[in-house]
Amino acid sequence: MRRFFVTSSVFLLAFPAILVVNASCYAKGDLPMPAQYVEDYANVIDNAEENSLNGILQELEQKTGVQYIVLTVRTTSGIPIEQFAIELTDRWKLGQKGKDNGILFVLASDDRKYRFEVGYGLEEFITDQYCGSIGREILLPYLKKGDYSNGIYQANLEIVRKIASQAGVELTAMPKLSPVPIEQKRIGLPCCSVLPLFLFLFLLFSGGGRRGMGLWFFLPFMLGGFGGYGGGGYGRSGSYGGGGFGGGFGGFGGGMGGGFGGGGASGSW
Amino acid sequence: MKNFGKVWAVLIVILVVILVFGLGIFKWYIGGYNRAVGLDEAAKTAWSNVDTALQRRLDLIPNLIETVKGYATHEKELFENIANSRTKYFQADTVGAKIEASNELSGLLSRLLMLQENYPQLKANQNFLALQDSLEGTENRIAVARTRYNEAAKLLNSYAREFFGSFFCKRAGVMKVEYFEATEQAKTEVPKVQF
Repeated sequence: MRRFFVTSSVFLLAFPAILVVNASCYAKGDLPMPAQYVEDYANVIDNAEENSLNGILQELEQKTGVQYIVLTVRTTSGIPIEQFAIELTDRWKLGQKGKDNGILFVLASDDRKYRFEVGYGLEEFITDQYCGSIGREILLPYLKKGDYSNGIYQANLEIVRKIASQAGVELTAMPKLSPVPIEQKRIGLPCCSVLPLFLFLFLLFSGGGRRGMGLWFFLPFMLGGFGGYGGGGYGRSGSYGGGGFGGGFGGFGGGMGGGFGGGGASGSW
Repeated sequence: MKNFGKVWAVLIVILVVILVFGLGIFKWYIGGYNRAVGLDEAAKTAWSNVDTALQRRLDLIPNLIETVKGYATHEKELFENIANSRTKYFQADTVGAKIEASNELSGLLSRLLMLQENYPQLKANQNFLALQDSLEGTENRIAVARTRYNEAAKLLNSYAREFFGSFFCKRAGVMKVEYFEATEQAKTEVPKVQF
């Protein structure tokens, strides 16, 4: 009886805690290194666009070495998006060492803010003015209509186009004319919040005598277990609704030591 | 004869101990000295990045003012103030004076950008929008460089306050550096730069 009481009180105490942990999951500057070129934690990019953009950004890296990550989050948790972005790029080190050719696009859907963070090596032709105008002229009109998916797709495609033409390469994955037709929005809970909870419950009830420290010991592993490299259809938040994995691409291999100095532009809608 | 060998053995042991000990002290000294020099260099590099970003902002100002002037005809005083604090920055020769001048400039520039609320045509001017992008980008670069400089300055300054650190800093002729704090005014008036 006493044991049951202890178990349930641990559970009751832990339950709000894990909810809180999950709510802020990936909200702060503690995001793992992206496993895909498009990391849609806010779940606002449609499958078609996400797949297409993933393929294009992978081809871009293969042909030019530019590491271009498109990231969406719900919120930056009160941190200015400029700071959020630079903290991530400092940690991820997108782009090649010495060339500093990385770009991070961040959109915080609940904060209604976006930012293009441009690595040192690209600042010369992906200027602040250029980013600003792409944001104002391509991204914002879509965002104002609520069509985040198309806005993110079109705006980033435009920048990719510029990088590719600057490098003198042709991207075969690039759509020639019109944007990809919009598919229906997928349903389903992000695995990010559900899977760790199940794992936690499983460990809690199967653990028997090992409580307290033992459980908390596993918690970081459960939450941290999503930062895998190299893709695979392994329940990361949102991307494919937790299911299988359509394209034939291998995923993002990690930053290569590129540096950022705060270049780019931000905006809000 | 037996005794003689023993004495030698003891002497050698003592010598080795002294040597090891001396080497340890030597390595410790070199390490501490080099750390002082390294931290100083890091702070200097970080400051030069701040300086570059600040310089970049100064280069933008004439164009920006030219563009705004055409629309905001009643803001002569603001333009003059900006020009003055720009000169002040150029004349500043210490880090402290540069920080002061650039903080003053931050406040004035954010007022300049706010003019677009009073002059709607300005908001629609493509040239102004582009310059605004540049200015915001530069402000952000300053903020990033400033954060990095302050981090480097903190490492150096706390080392310079440590018991042995202060000794090594003195030996290496390394001085504490000034932090680049944004003024309260600049913080509230430039919402884009809240580091």
